[in-house]
Amino acid sequence: MAPVIVAKDLTKNYGKLSAVDHVSFEVHKGEVFGFLGPNGAGKTTTIKMLTTLLRPTSGSATVLGFDVVSESGKIRPKIGVVQQEPSYELALSVEDNLDLYGFMWNMPKKERKARTELLLDKFGLTDARKTSPPELSVGQRRRLQVAREFMHDSELMFLDEPTIGLDPQARRVTLDYVREKVEQGTTVFFTTHVMEEAEYICDRIAIIDHGRILASDTIDNIKRKFGRVSVIHLRVKEDIDGLLKKLEKLPTVENVIYPSKQDEPLKVYSQNVDTVLPHVIELIASLGLHITDLRIKEPSLEDVFIQIVGSKGEANDE
Amino acid sequence: MSSFRLWALRVKLTMNSFLRLLYRDLKAGIWSTKSMIAMQLVSPLFYIFVAGFAYGAVIPAMEIDGREVSYVLFLAPGIIVMQIMFAASIAGAMLWLDKRLAMFAQILMGPFSRWQYILSKIVSIMAQGLLNAFLVFVIASPLLVGLSVTFGGVMYIVGSLILGSLFFGSLTLAISVFIKSNEAFNALFNIMFTPLMFLSSVYYPLQNAPWIIQAASMVNPLTYAADMLRAGLLGVYNPLLQIEVVVLVVESVIVFVAATLAFKRVKA
Repeated sequence: MAPVIVAKDLTKNYGKLSAVDHVSFEVHKGEVFGFLGPNGAGKTTTIKMLTTLLRPTSGSATVLGFDVVSESGKIRPKIGVVQQEPSYELALSVEDNLDLYGFMWNMPKKERKARTELLLDKFGLTDARKTSPPELSVGQRRRLQVAREFMHDSELMFLDEPTIGLDPQARRVTLDYVREKVEQGTTVFFTTHVMEEAEYICDRIAIIDHGRILASDTIDNIKRKFGRVSVIHLRVKEDIDGLLKKLEKLPTVENVIYPSKQDEPLKVYSQNVDTVLPHVIELIASLGLHITDLRIKEPSLEDVFIQIVGSKGEANDE
Repeated sequence: MSSFRLWALRVKLTMNSFLRLLYRDLKAGIWSTKSMIAMQLVSPLFYIFVAGFAYGAVIPAMEIDGREVSYVLFLAPGIIVMQIMFAASIAGAMLWLDKRLAMFAQILMGPFSRWQYILSKIVSIMAQGLLNAFLVFVIASPLLVGLSVTFGGVMYIVGSLILGSLFFGSLTLAISVFIKSNEAFNALFNIMFTPLMFLSSVYYPLQNAPWIIQAASMVNPLTYAADMLRAGLLGVYNPLLQIEVVVLVVESVIVFVAATLAFKRVKA
């Protein structure tokens, strides 16, 4: 089956700055493809090129079999886009926003009405149906924006950080609805900062930073490939002052994090837990301390993400 | 499918998208600013009802192209044609708001083209300008004794309003492409509209004005639109009217093309 998106050496330069730098990837039909990266990594710029809003500086991309530059008019009627920026009709109520958007997408009145009711219910906006966006909370406005894009059916959805500003419950409802649409055949290109979210919904991911893709595979494979450091969570009955420096000196230990709160465990990071664990237990026993809890944690996607892109954290806005 | 049928289908789809964008402008833009439209009617009605009659008491009836016309009758067409200029400023604000609320990008990522977007804006400006002009005309009409409208006159009336809308709508859109803030937008339009209004034939006949004012007025499209509307409503045809129509057509087309080209620069 032909991929839904094929990007080959896709590049976007602004002067000397490469916002997207020779990026290549494929997205397959019926999958949720996560595009993960810190702020300024090039996620939104990539989406803008794939949705025909920006012309690439070099490279090529096809979406649903059409070239993003020469056949842009054939792509746009088949895709849906939730932008990162807030976007809605300021003067219209929630239900009029939905209805007008459906009208713009050429939906018959009866279908618009039914879909509006469904989405108002799904996204918890029924009570706010007569309210206009300036009077809504940030989360309600975001729900309206996401719901609006589901007014029309699309073969491919681009969701650029769709859960920004949503509470955990609304976030779960949104992700579940996206998954429901995927099961009905929609393909989703999804960007997020929240790694639990990516783990929850994405079939495959690509990690991008400074405009370059650093890793691309299923989440399990990426964890296997890059998640070389495991963590020992440790609780000791007695005072553990002095233990820290001794643990750091053990072979294969990469880092030790002292608990910042009383109920937090001591964390020992190691590339080879099997080797270091007996040494840790032996050391604690030799100091006359008693272990109350010991767990070995596999790296989370967030651990792997930080490991891949580094822990700089600070970045530029796109 | 024959090439003609394919072409016809393409035209139908293009018109369909354009009409949908136009409906959006009317519903989400103009209809939602209906209180602003109502406020926009206050000023022109004051001009006609108060200034027109107050000045009319001290300005004797004047001869315009062979016909004796009272001042209020002279003033009314100018005030009506100004409505399309003010309507254009609202449409420019609509584009600015679309950019700020990312609706411009949202539309361009949907089944629409930039060309359809700009055309829908121009037509919605026309609709609003015509609505404002019509409302002012209807409200003021009981006082406008002496109108003389012929079939040919109707053509001038329609031409004046459509060309005026095209010119000012395109001008406003072209300017709003380069303006970064709402404050700058409002300030620029206040500065721009004042000379446009006073260096034209809206408030006074130009033939007795100082030559420098006459010269400035002759490059002002508001002069031509006002003269056309006056010709249509009062049946006064100045000898240069045909040339004025041609100049207004040329100016409107040039500004429309400029707006379309400027629009290509807009980042979504």
